[in-house]
Amino acid sequence: METKVLRMLVPMALEGLKVTLGVFAITLIVSLPLAIVVAKLRMSNNKITSKITGTYIYIMRGTPLLLQLMFIFFGFYRVPYIGYPFSREQAIIIAFVLNYTAYFAEIFRGGINSIDVGQHEASLVLGLSKIHTFMKIILPQVIKNVMPSIGNEVITLVKDTSLVYILGSSDILKAARSVSNVYAAFSPYIYIGIVYLVIVAVLTKILDKIESKYNYYR
Amino acid sequence: MVLLVENLSKSFGNNEVFHDISFSVNIGEIVCIRGKSGEGKTTLLRCLTSLETADKGSIKINNMYLCKEDNNNIKYAQKNELQAIRQEIGLVFQNFNLFPHMNIMENLMEAPLFLKNDTRENIKSRAEELLKSLELEGKEDSYPFQLSGGQQQRVAIARACMLNPSVLCFDEPTSALDDQTRGQISKIIKYLSSEGIAIIIVTHDNAFADEIAHRIITMKDGKITIEEQ
Repeated sequence: METKVLRMLVPMALEGLKVTLGVFAITLIVSLPLAIVVAKLRMSNNKITSKITGTYIYIMRGTPLLLQLMFIFFGFYRVPYIGYPFSREQAIIIAFVLNYTAYFAEIFRGGINSIDVGQHEASLVLGLSKIHTFMKIILPQVIKNVMPSIGNEVITLVKDTSLVYILGSSDILKAARSVSNVYAAFSPYIYIGIVYLVIVAVLTKILDKIESKYNYYR
Repeated sequence: MVLLVENLSKSFGNNEVFHDISFSVNIGEIVCIRGKSGEGKTTLLRCLTSLETADKGSIKINNMYLCKEDNNNIKYAQKNELQAIRQEIGLVFQNFNLFPHMNIMENLMEAPLFLKNDTRENIKSRAEELLKSLELEGKEDSYPFQLSGGQQQRVAIARACMLNPSVLCFDEPTSALDDQTRGQISKIIKYLSSEGIAIIIVTHDNAFADEIAHRIITMKDGKITIEEQ
């Protein structure tokens, strides 16, 4: 029985792994840089800009990601004027990127605020431009400060990828469910649970490496 | 005359910090500004280093106007000129504000490299020279947190000197120092002044001011009195 389960689960899980890791990687690569921009806009002195980004973040953090996925796939094409029928893959990436950018942006905003104003002033007196100051003086220090919080979100993201089932996409958890239904067995869930743990273990190692890379100064 | 301040006024809201202040500083002169806390010493320093904008009056540094009176309005220098003026006046912050993620060499080279003042090689040898004269040899690869307070202060001085300023300002330079490092900093300041750099020091340390200053400006109730030493 268990061999039958595994024989069905392994190929399906491998296919599902592509979805899980694909959504994970694309979301991370797109939302992290985007979040820095959004954080800066949120902190802008322009009231309209900061209000708009504030509302965006409120909506993204105030509604379930599951609902956002459903809205973008099933609901968005009905919106007058701007509505567009996104494909399943497009809808998944858009929803994840929009959602995670909002969370990351708030983390970066906190990180940017935590930098002593003296760093800006020293840069100004030394004649550094605003952009140069942000990229070379502020941002490296922000990244050090926010790494633990970013790490938390990164791990949450791995598990959130399981939400793609709502749009009919087959990730590793969906594989477990299918096999479980065929054999009336619970063990597929255990196996997939272990897969999640392995992914998270690897990520934890990588995150620790990055954090310790920034330990060279205090 | 390297710095000329005329009729300078500054308020925060209804709170007038100083009013109609005028003074000048010559090449190589050491001027101490003292007064009780809250008398606007630091605000004055921040106006000179363009971290704060004044409301009225003019500031002239090395024959360039940072700001001047124009039909009862204050007019600040344009962006390019401002950049040039900023390089003429350096500031050593009370808590130094070194860049913690950069080593000492990088701290020194960051601004001149960005401003493209010189070739990388020349900038580097200038930095090495400064570190040597400030007794910081061998600290090039250290990070600020690895240095003592006095050493960090000397790095901050070196960093400001990298841009060859005509005027160097100090905000409470003795506040975090013990007697020995205090002696060292007054030696360094005298050395810099002998090199022709005008020095402006904000301090509430009267003994230090008496020892080092050529002139002392006392701020009280938004006005100043000047005494020659």
